[in-house]
Amino acid sequence: MSYAYLFKYIIIGDTGVGKSCLLLQFTDKRFQPVHDLTIGVEFGARMITIDNKPIKLQIWDTAGQESFRSITRSYYRGAAGALLVYDITRRETFNHLASWLEDARQHANANMTIMLIGNKCDLAHRRAVSTEEGEQFAKEHGLIFMEASAKTAQNVEEAFISTAATIYKKIQDGVFDVSNESYGIKVGYGGIPGPSGGRDGSASQAGGCCS
Amino acid sequence: MQEPELHDLSDDSDYAASQLQQQQELKSMSRTDSGKKGGDNEPDGAEIVFVKDNVTIHPTQFASERISGRLRLIKHGALLFMTWIPYKEKTDCTAQSSSSNTKLSERDRNLYTIRAVPVTDIRSIRRHTPTFGWQYLIIVLSSGLAFPPLYFYNGGVREFLATLKQHVFLVRSADDANVFLVNDFQDPLQRSLSSLELPRAVSISNSSSTPTLASSAAQNDNSERTDDGSSSISQYGGRHGQKVHDPARDLSIQVLEKFSLVTKFARETTTHLLREIQNDGFLANDTKKQSQPLTNDNHETGLDDAQTVPNEISVTPDPLENTLCRKENHFKEAATRVGTFELVDSKEFDKLTLVWGQPRQPPLGSEEWATFLDAEGRILDSKSLRKRIFYGGLEHQIRNEVWKFLLGYHEYDSTYAEREYLASVKKADYETLKSQWQSISPAQARRFTKFRERKGLIEKDVVRTDRSASFYDGDDNPNVTLLRNILLTYSFYNFDLGYCQGMSDLLSPILFVMKDESESFWCFVSLMERLGPNFNRDQNGMHSQLFALSKLVELLDSPLHNYFRQNDCLNYFFCFRWVLIQFKREFDYEKMMRLWEVLWTHYLSEHFHLYVCVAILKKHRAKIMGEQMDFDTLLKFINELSGHIDLDVTLRDAEALCVCAGENGAACIPPGTPASLPIETELLYPLQDENDV
Ligand SMILES: Nc1nc2c(ncn2[C@@H]2O[C@H](COP(=O)(O)OP(=O)(O)OP(=O)(O)O)[C@@H](O)[C@H]2O)c(=O)[nH]1
Ligand SMILES: [Mg+2]
Repeated sequence: MSYAYLFKYIIIGDTGVGKSCLLLQFTDKRFQPVHDLTIGVEFGARMITIDNKPIKLQIWDTAGQESFRSITRSYYRGAAGALLVYDITRRETFNHLASWLEDARQHANANMTIMLIGNKCDLAHRRAVSTEEGEQFAKEHGLIFMEASAKTAQNVEEAFISTAATIYKKIQDGVFDVSNESYGIKVGYGGIPGPSGGRDGSASQAGGCCS
Repeated sequence: MQEPELHDLSDDSDYAASQLQQQQELKSMSRTDSGKKGGDNEPDGAEIVFVKDNVTIHPTQFASERISGRLRLIKHGALLFMTWIPYKEKTDCTAQSSSSNTKLSERDRNLYTIRAVPVTDIRSIRRHTPTFGWQYLIIVLSSGLAFPPLYFYNGGVREFLATLKQHVFLVRSADDANVFLVNDFQDPLQRSLSSLELPRAVSISNSSSTPTLASSAAQNDNSERTDDGSSSISQYGGRHGQKVHDPARDLSIQVLEKFSLVTKFARETTTHLLREIQNDGFLANDTKKQSQPLTNDNHETGLDDAQTVPNEISVTPDPLENTLCRKENHFKEAATRVGTFELVDSKEFDKLTLVWGQPRQPPLGSEEWATFLDAEGRILDSKSLRKRIFYGGLEHQIRNEVWKFLLGYHEYDSTYAEREYLASVKKADYETLKSQWQSISPAQARRFTKFRERKGLIEKDVVRTDRSASFYDGDDNPNVTLLRNILLTYSFYNFDLGYCQGMSDLLSPILFVMKDESESFWCFVSLMERLGPNFNRDQNGMHSQLFALSKLVELLDSPLHNYFRQNDCLNYFFCFRWVLIQFKREFDYEKMMRLWEVLWTHYLSEHFHLYVCVAILKKHRAKIMGEQMDFDTLLKFINELSGHIDLDVTLRDAEALCVCAGENGAACIPPGTPASLPIETELLYPLQDENDV
């Protein structure tokens, strides 16, 4: 399938916050309670449309466990977007956000768009982090914010798509040199060439690597 | 050139036998010549130009197991043939020779017999002059196969080479004085050798001389120039000069030597099949009819020595062996092309296999298992058992019993009674450990953050472990509770290591097989004795594994290694999951259990899982390099191999790689790399130890 752009996303956050469930909800539109915990990384992909342009999201779902961090850090490279997820029913997953952010800032490119997601908002009765706290943290660190539920699918589409919209806008504004793939963006058919130009999008090959 | 005589041959049965044999053979030789089919061969065109006795091979890694025989060069018309015929076993007079040949059957002898190989089929000869021990030669055929090293117990290497040189075009490699190239310079020698990662081991002149006697002047010219070491004629000369002491090159040469073992595997395959056919009654005992040169050349020479060694069972050239050779060559060419040129058709290479490993056997069943046990339940020959499981795995119904031995929970030499007693003691031990966390009251837990965290983590993970398997599916499945109990108990048994993700993946199949809580726990403990360091918080265990893996790939596939280096993939993180949970998620449940029991035998190496990694990577090398995969693409590609890996093929490839790498492979793996066991460190390659100085 051809796309105008391909964006690389990573999903990060503590173990058990629901990263894999969010991905599955987004790609397969279902809540799968019996999937396995993530070791290393898993992949998902989906096409979306922004501004009438087909955009392919290639999503890296990383393992959340602390001791895997030295490995998972290597996955940040070249991501255009990140979903930073915590679990609103577990305070410690919120407390760890700063250290996740630090990792992201250190190992991802500076222009990466980060979306903060307070997941499991279907479990409001067990809430341990208020919506305001989430908003506040996002504001302080310049992140987009949303509460979501992988179980009910609330805000899941929105989270992935508004991240993409933000990235798309940055491209329009010329923030990225899209011909430089370290920004996690590949130009396919119909995408605009980057400022350095010189590339028509005819080399589009879903999943192929053309450089 | 020294020919150390460390071995007094006068008391050697082989030697005694050889004296007899020699006379017999000389007689039968003439008989053969006149009595043979006749007609198409000149009956008296054969002339023996070289004879050497007590030329010996060591078919196993044990120096004590050897087969001695006579090496000859026979001129027949314009053609020169090499033969090596093992002496007939003198069962009645082996008494004084303690260990020699005791384990080698008549069949083994036949397997290795070299019958009239035209010297034109020989590609190169490598001479080895160890400081201690006998000189030996490794003869590599054009097909890429190599004979096992021929040890010259009575000396004679120099004469052998000198004789050869009188008859064929023999040139010393400009790069390595111990490599002698035979024959046609235009053949794909350099290509194939470079595929053994021997880019500089053999350098050949650009000369288009043919190996006919007519052009001997030119040949002499060449060999002289290469002999003086100036290398001036070689187009590669400049580079060679600087690389003489390149350790990587030495390694590569040793890899070449290991390839001589490959022949053995190919042959064992043939025998295996042959045996099957015989069992089916196809081959009766009409062996003479079947006798043909093993090398399957088409030269009907009349020099077939089958009749000079009566009673031997001849090895029928098996079409499969040709296939083996052919595939092997394909593989080499593929490797070379990848290294040197653009890939032409990567799809075709994907299908190719390193088929040198032995064919997989059917799994060990309960009847056969019983034969490994004595009346009291001891396993007398644990090595054969482990070997058997290495090649075939286990039928599911005996896993429950045998895994306990493989994992080291049960001692091989324990009796039924001892094991029964142990089980009851261990059960009590388990209950004690379990009660430690069970006795923590909710109030106490509130003040015990570490415990709460661990418990929470484990409870989150057991419901995310193999829930699609019926054994663990559904709500409130009691087996999920068992997983939790065992993991929590383990985190008290080994508080420092505690719980780490991946452990539940390792425990799940064990519980599935053992069913019993306490026994599963202790088997898991044994497994963690080996794999525990992989779960260290600082990941040092995993890093040392991945480091060892990179060294192995460097040894066994340097172009691929270079590719990874150039593409920033040297951290091998894409193999992280493979190694951490031992391919648990790469195969279906049954296949995964099969692989695990094979790994646990520690038969060829306790790090066999790393060779499995290399085998899979090598299998896809053409695609990886051909498509110029970067780190991201590679990671995704490797992830998506899950469920698409052929286990049997992979195991055979890994076996071949492990054998090829030999102790150089072992040297790639830093001591203490997980899966290493403190117990039973046996020397797998004492032969090489002695000679590869
Ligand atoms: N109620 C509810 N439960 C959820 C939601 N999302 C995930 N879960 C549950 O939370 C648990 C963890 O979800 P995962 O998606 O596996 O968590 P993860 O972040 O991928 O964890 P790691 O792979 O270990 O890093 C699962 O058992 C899910 O059933 C949600 O939105 N609502
Ligand atoms: Mg996950």
